[in-house]
Amino acid sequence: MTPLLSVRNLTLTQKHRKNWLDKAQIEHFGPIEFDLNRGETLAIIGENGSGKSVLANLLVGAITPTSGTIKLNGEACVLGGHAEHNMKIRMIFQNSNESLNPGITVGSMLQEPLRLNTTLNERERIQKVDDTLRQVGMLRDHKYFYRHMLSDGQRQRVALARALIMEPEVIVADEPFAALDPSVRSQTVNLIMKLQRDLGLGFIFISHNLGIVRHISDRMLVLQHGMVIETGKTETVFNWPRSEYTQRLVASHQSLMPNF
Amino acid sequence: MPMLDIKNLTLEIDTPVGWVKALDRINLTLEKGEVRALVGESGSGKSLIVRAIVGSVPDNWRLTADRLSWKGESLLSMNAEQRRKIMRKEIAVVFQNPQASLDPSATLGDQLEESIPAHLLAGKWFWQRNAERKALASKVLHKVGIKDHQDCLQKFPHEVARDVNHKMMIAMALVSEPELLIADDPTRGMEATTKVQLLKLLTRMNQTKELSILFISHDLLAISSMANTMTVLYCGQTVESGKMKQLRKRPLHPYTKALLDSAPSFRKELPVKSDLSALDGTIPTLQHLPIGCRLGPRCPRAQKECVKVPAVRRIHEHYYSCHYPLHRDKL
Ligand SMILES: Nc1ncnc2c1ncn2[C@@H]1O[C@H](COP(=O)(O)OP(=O)(O)OP(=O)(O)O)[C@@H](O)[C@H]1O
Ligand code: SF4
Ligand SMILES: [Mg+2]
Repeated sequence: MTPLLSVRNLTLTQKHRKNWLDKAQIEHFGPIEFDLNRGETLAIIGENGSGKSVLANLLVGAITPTSGTIKLNGEACVLGGHAEHNMKIRMIFQNSNESLNPGITVGSMLQEPLRLNTTLNERERIQKVDDTLRQVGMLRDHKYFYRHMLSDGQRQRVALARALIMEPEVIVADEPFAALDPSVRSQTVNLIMKLQRDLGLGFIFISHNLGIVRHISDRMLVLQHGMVIETGKTETVFNWPRSEYTQRLVASHQSLMPNF
Repeated sequence: MPMLDIKNLTLEIDTPVGWVKALDRINLTLEKGEVRALVGESGSGKSLIVRAIVGSVPDNWRLTADRLSWKGESLLSMNAEQRRKIMRKEIAVVFQNPQASLDPSATLGDQLEESIPAHLLAGKWFWQRNAERKALASKVLHKVGIKDHQDCLQKFPHEVARDVNHKMMIAMALVSEPELLIADDPTRGMEATTKVQLLKLLTRMNQTKELSILFISHDLLAISSMANTMTVLYCGQTVESGKMKQLRKRPLHPYTKALLDSAPSFRKELPVKSDLSALDGTIPTLQHLPIGCRLGPRCPRAQKECVKVPAVRRIHEHYYSCHYPLHRDKL
């Protein structure tokens, strides 16, 4: 079976120069390789600055990699430069609060990508907005709302709706649960798992919350200094972590677990 | 007598729709050497309680309480000078946002030395005191787990990683050897390893120095590993409080149960990828508070009676405010 998403040999080399006299420092990221099947979830973990967000940005095409291929359903994507594959691999940003435009209604925000990328007419677009809002558990009337009228959880849903409206096959999310309250977090987790069951959506997320990682992910990818130091089935990684870093992380998490 | 004693603390804020009670008859106590968890969703008023304790409530808000006292003395009837003294020597606070509470224009070293109160320095001459300051500073940095002391002390807040700033804030709070530490969401965004280090440090301070801690967090896993007691807040009301063990084993308030159930790590028997239990809806805004029990519209057990505010009831040391608590199973 062809995997939904197949990433091979993805690398990025960046030059950093503090000022023009300094010798440029070169940072290497990658190579990254993984496969993701339909309906599966991949969790990316690692310390701050280990390259998690770089990876997310590479996957959605916001940064152009130096080398490598990303295949979606076996077809190679054009990389970087907000290419077409953007529509099929969509990103939810770390802080949905700030990424929602406060000056326009939820409805026009959701219509925007449709207007730019499809030939749907106004009525069809509104229909699509209504359907997507329903999909994320909101009401049609919410399209008349502005950002400030929504609660945190509803904002997170709108961010998800905006990612879903182009019918993507993969969603990439950077710490999607960190800012959420416990009950809203459970609602969002449930919603994503339901979309995966119903639509076969692939889900890739970055998180520090090992409890949730263990509960919803099928596989994990552990990054350190821009390199993959460990990857495998989630249960395997939790039970038999191999790298020292992962062992420490898992041990820390376990040490907090209540004894029953 | 509890060290910190808060009874019926109410805080009213003037909003476009009139005065609203952002805190509504909050009760909270802390004994010497106790570690109390204060939990509740975002906007439930946790940080407002901290502001009421430290005395940074704006003048145009209305604050009333039957009791708001520190070691038997009413904080409300003290003058500003007395209060400042307590905040400098006896109570230390780690605020929620380290970046915003550090001074961007001073080095971390200067800020840390600044927070060492004079009474901890024995030297007579300023050079002796300077040396003592340096020694105290590097001792506390070692404690919070910052390795490169010297290097780090020269740096400005923006030049170091976020978690270093975070540890710095904690170092500043601990360097004055306070009796009570109030930590507002100290583990937010921390990876598991750093988090465990911090929890161990606080536990050690609690055991060796009898430091009392008010630990505010969303992170139930972290909090339940170290707290003795817990107070649960919903929408500005205390809904349940008692011994951590007791609350975890047998919550009486529907909200506490929902909160505990929302953490997958607490539920060993939970099959992977199964739905997490969650209350419907979200916490209401201050402008749209429901009357009566504020959980009402989201509560699976709500009935007609719930439009009246439930009174506080108790079973031994376990307090709850609910008309239909979970131990009364027949509805
Ligand atoms: N300066 C202010 N003016 C008006 N309302 C305020 C102000 N500060 C806080 N509030 C309101 O008071 C309520 C409680 O806020 P508080 O900051 O105590 O929440 P919290 O429990 O600390 O949440 P979090 O977990 O997100 O830190 C919120 O509804 C908030 O909107
Ligand atoms: S008082 Fe009523 S609405 Fe409030 S928590 Fe209890 S049962 Fe639910
Ligand atoms: Mg707060």
